[in-house]
Amino acid sequence: MFFLLLFSIVPMLEVVWFSLLNYSFFGPHEFIGAENYRRLLSDANFWHTLMNSLLYVLVTPVLIVVSLVVALSVRDAVRSASLLRLFFFLPVITPIIVVGIMWKWIFTEETGVMNYLLSLAGIGPVSWLTDHPTNMVSVMILTVWRGFGYYMMVILAGLMLIPKEIEEAGVLDGATPFTQVVHIILPNLRPTLLFIFVVSSASAVKLFTELYVLIPGVPMNNKTLVAFLYRQSFERFDFGYGSAIAVVLFLLTAGLSYASIRMMEERS
Amino acid sequence: MKFLRMLILTLAAAAALLPFLWLLSTSFKGAEELFAYPPDILPQTFVWENYSGLWNAVPLAGYFLNSSIVTAVSVLVNVLFSSLAGFALARMRFRLRTTAFLLVIAAVIIPKEVLILPLYTIILTMRLDDSLAGVLLPFLVDGMSIFLMRQAFLSIPREIEEAGVMDGAGPFRLWWNVMAPMTAPAMATVTIVSFIVAWGDFLWPLVVLRSPEHYTLQVGLSYLTGTFVDNFRYVAAGGILSIIPVLIVFLFMQRHFERGLFSGSNK
Repeated sequence: MFFLLLFSIVPMLEVVWFSLLNYSFFGPHEFIGAENYRRLLSDANFWHTLMNSLLYVLVTPVLIVVSLVVALSVRDAVRSASLLRLFFFLPVITPIIVVGIMWKWIFTEETGVMNYLLSLAGIGPVSWLTDHPTNMVSVMILTVWRGFGYYMMVILAGLMLIPKEIEEAGVLDGATPFTQVVHIILPNLRPTLLFIFVVSSASAVKLFTELYVLIPGVPMNNKTLVAFLYRQSFERFDFGYGSAIAVVLFLLTAGLSYASIRMMEERS
Repeated sequence: MKFLRMLILTLAAAAALLPFLWLLSTSFKGAEELFAYPPDILPQTFVWENYSGLWNAVPLAGYFLNSSIVTAVSVLVNVLFSSLAGFALARMRFRLRTTAFLLVIAAVIIPKEVLILPLYTIILTMRLDDSLAGVLLPFLVDGMSIFLMRQAFLSIPREIEEAGVMDGAGPFRLWWNVMAPMTAPAMATVTIVSFIVAWGDFLWPLVVLRSPEHYTLQVGLSYLTGTFVDNFRYVAAGGILSIIPVLIVFLFMQRHFERGLFSGSNK
């Protein structure tokens, strides 16, 4: 408990305090009130990165649909289901740096395999890494690829909560597989999907490493809030300003995280 | 319907696996083949040079060792401590218990990304910057793991606890002999998740570590992508190597992990 206090509550308070200081790694620090926040509001990079971080939440509905479709398909496939779950889970366990390396190679614009496949269909070439907002789409593809196996597992767990009798009754009433999904499964799955929505949105707002590997060279206004935070804190050593960004990030995600943990508590 | 399902599963499996196979194939390609266009699916000539080349170009063994130390320590401490703390929060009555639980919740909802800066200043004052201890220390105790273990201990029926107490078990024996074994699926979840997180962690080690001999594998790999822009074969080989440990651990624990995930919802 002491540990948690020292390494999460104390630094959280510190970050709030730093954000009110003119605090650079090298110079002395002085109290400047809300000056850092005022500076944020007039910083174009802040608005761009904030907007991008929020736009990445768009990945959530895609993730939910993909995970749901795969979960429903894998649920009844008794044979080799365990092997399939392993396949879908591989991207989840793979270190994010490796995932980034892999996809960077696939998206490479002149010789990458993605543009080659598209050229077979007469499309392209697409500037997956350099064009904005196309490079956001690339990051989203990577995020869906890496995440769907995990959310599929969560949905499978949620599906097990639905009493068998309800579905059997549905079949007796002549429900087609489609109406079954719409009228029986989806309503019963609502808490699970809501949970996924919250978790996935919170992690979308915090995207950083994916961009760090996939599109390192792009200008700051193509990037995210955490990338902006990293730049100000650890490349410019402007700790006060960086802390103000961190506080904004906290405000954006804390509500989502709190909701997700409350849901986890209710489930068990 | 059956056909549609098969189609979806095949497509999803292909989507999940192909990037891996592509990386694997690239890691065995020769230099002249790397930028072949159209790309060759399989290496024309199968070479091991990328792996040996990588070995000679960077202190790969050192990266592996550093990552292994960080991962082993953080998984062990995490599993042990979250079990103890989870047990105490779920099963023991003490002053400030509610406060302690709120502390855990607070720790879960504060994103790591928000804390890197103050944590870095703490690590600096402790003179642990550029060391594995500095990488390890702030995240040794994890709120989410404690939370998961607390939920697992809460779900054990009262009667079992009473039977243990009747047999004269103190709190420690009650935890170690009676209850902890019953939380095996949750422990498997904590083990796997903390293994994946520790092995793949990037942002914090990147901030803390400066000298190459202290790099973890992920930090080393990310620098490799910077220095070997036109030698992707090495990077591919490094990527493949760094997947193997997580894959092995997951294969060992998949059954327990899935039982943990699915059993929680059966109640």
